Amino acid sequence: MRYLRGFLVVLLFWYALALLVSGPIIPYPHVVFAHLLKAILSANIYLHLLFSLYRILTGTMLALLVAIPAGLAIGRVKRLDRVLSPTLYLLYPLPKIAFLPVFMVLFGIGDLSKIILIAVIIFFPATLTIRDGVKEMPFQYLELAQAYHLTSRQVLTDIIWPSILPRIFSSLRITVGISLSVLFVSETYAATYGLGYTIMNNWVMANYVGMYAGIVLLSLLGLLLYIVIDKVEQLVIPAQAR
Amino acid sequence: MLTICDAQVCYGAHSAFSHFSLNAKRGEMISIVGKSGCGKTSLLYAIAGLIPLSQGSSTIGGGSTNCSLMFQQDRLLPWKKVEENVMLGLGPESREYAQSLLALVGLGHRKNSYPSQLSGGERQRVALARSLVRKPGLLLLDEPFASLDEQTRERLQEEIKRYVKQHGITLLLVTHSIKEAVFMGERIIVMTPQGLSYETTNPYHEYEDIRSNTDAFSLEKELRLQLGGFQ
Repeated sequence: MRYLRGFLVVLLFWYALALLVSGPIIPYPHVVFAHLLKAILSANIYLHLLFSLYRILTGTMLALLVAIPAGLAIGRVKRLDRVLSPTLYLLYPLPKIAFLPVFMVLFGIGDLSKIILIAVIIFFPATLTIRDGVKEMPFQYLELAQAYHLTSRQVLTDIIWPSILPRIFSSLRITVGISLSVLFVSETYAATYGLGYTIMNNWVMANYVGMYAGIVLLSLLGLLLYIVIDKVEQLVIPAQAR
Repeated sequence: MLTICDAQVCYGAHSAFSHFSLNAKRGEMISIVGKSGCGKTSLLYAIAGLIPLSQGSSTIGGGSTNCSLMFQQDRLLPWKKVEENVMLGLGPESREYAQSLLALVGLGHRKNSYPSQLSGGERQRVALARSLVRKPGLLLLDEPFASLDEQTRERLQEEIKRYVKQHGITLLLVTHSIKEAVFMGERIIVMTPQGLSYETTNPYHEYEDIRSNTDAFSLEKELRLQLGGFQ
């Protein structure tokens, strides 16, 4: 229901803008949705969607696989924090997209370079969010662990991990938006599949309706990912357990 | 059971307490009463091994794992159910005992609830079960009833007193409440930052009506005087 309301607001703005501009560069929403429906029925859009989804999911997984242990270690070990946090701050603002050519040379022009680009971009905010989660963990819980003689393994599984789990979900939510926009850029180069590719391809061919259909699909993909993250979080961390 | 020799805890240049010595026999129930800031909590934390002693020594019979500390706040982990909180750090073999302790504190039916679904008194009871499930020889209580209403506080005090006596556990309770010290301790110690300033046995400890016994009031009066308060 709340998604429908958001959708209506966007639609209203879109109509107003289309009316104001009244040219092919901003087509009316209903024309775009008709085109999208046709594309969905004719099944040629699924491959693009699947490729984009695959790149985003593997990129995110790869980033988390490194960011979770890195964030944990930096948050827990003061000496690592002193060395690595400034390093992260230094590298975080670099426009990683500018290194896409480097990634292409290193990892080929196929999927791998796109996935690694997404992973590298997500890695920074995810690591910092997890690091902060570990640092802000109430020391009372660590005292408790010490008083009850928990092993370091139990401290990790019973105390640190559950207390940073909500942080992992919020870092996922933060990075979904970033990863979608990165995905778009990476798919405009040396790609034959993917939503970014369809959007740019239609743009080059001055097929604005098709271009907007691709943009709408990208936004729907983002919405879907947000919904999935929220649902999984509710499953993993019940409301009473917060 | 517990031997403390000339102990001191410092935080940087600030000394929390110093020159504290104590000998506790097995099964003895000792109340330590003192004003806020006299180093009571630091003393318990040092005995439990959470903070190091700057000077002196503290030895627990049966080793450091033979003691269990119950904190001022319940410190239940919000992401664990009641039963899992009680069994923190223990294997499935202690499940049965955990359940029997939860039943003892009247929360057998809440074992699958989360801490957020419990009242303050119930949470403190879970914390009590958690400190007892390890079968400690020495139980350290750090004003665990301070945040509870009077009825709940008195019931919990009675439950703990009965359990500790039954199982021959050595009890060390720190509190700022004179009434609590008199109710719980067979030996009562007044603590200051410079160490132990007064010590007395409590002849009324076994009395059923200790809370309203007028003879016990004289002991309370003496303690109040020793703490520097009004008679």
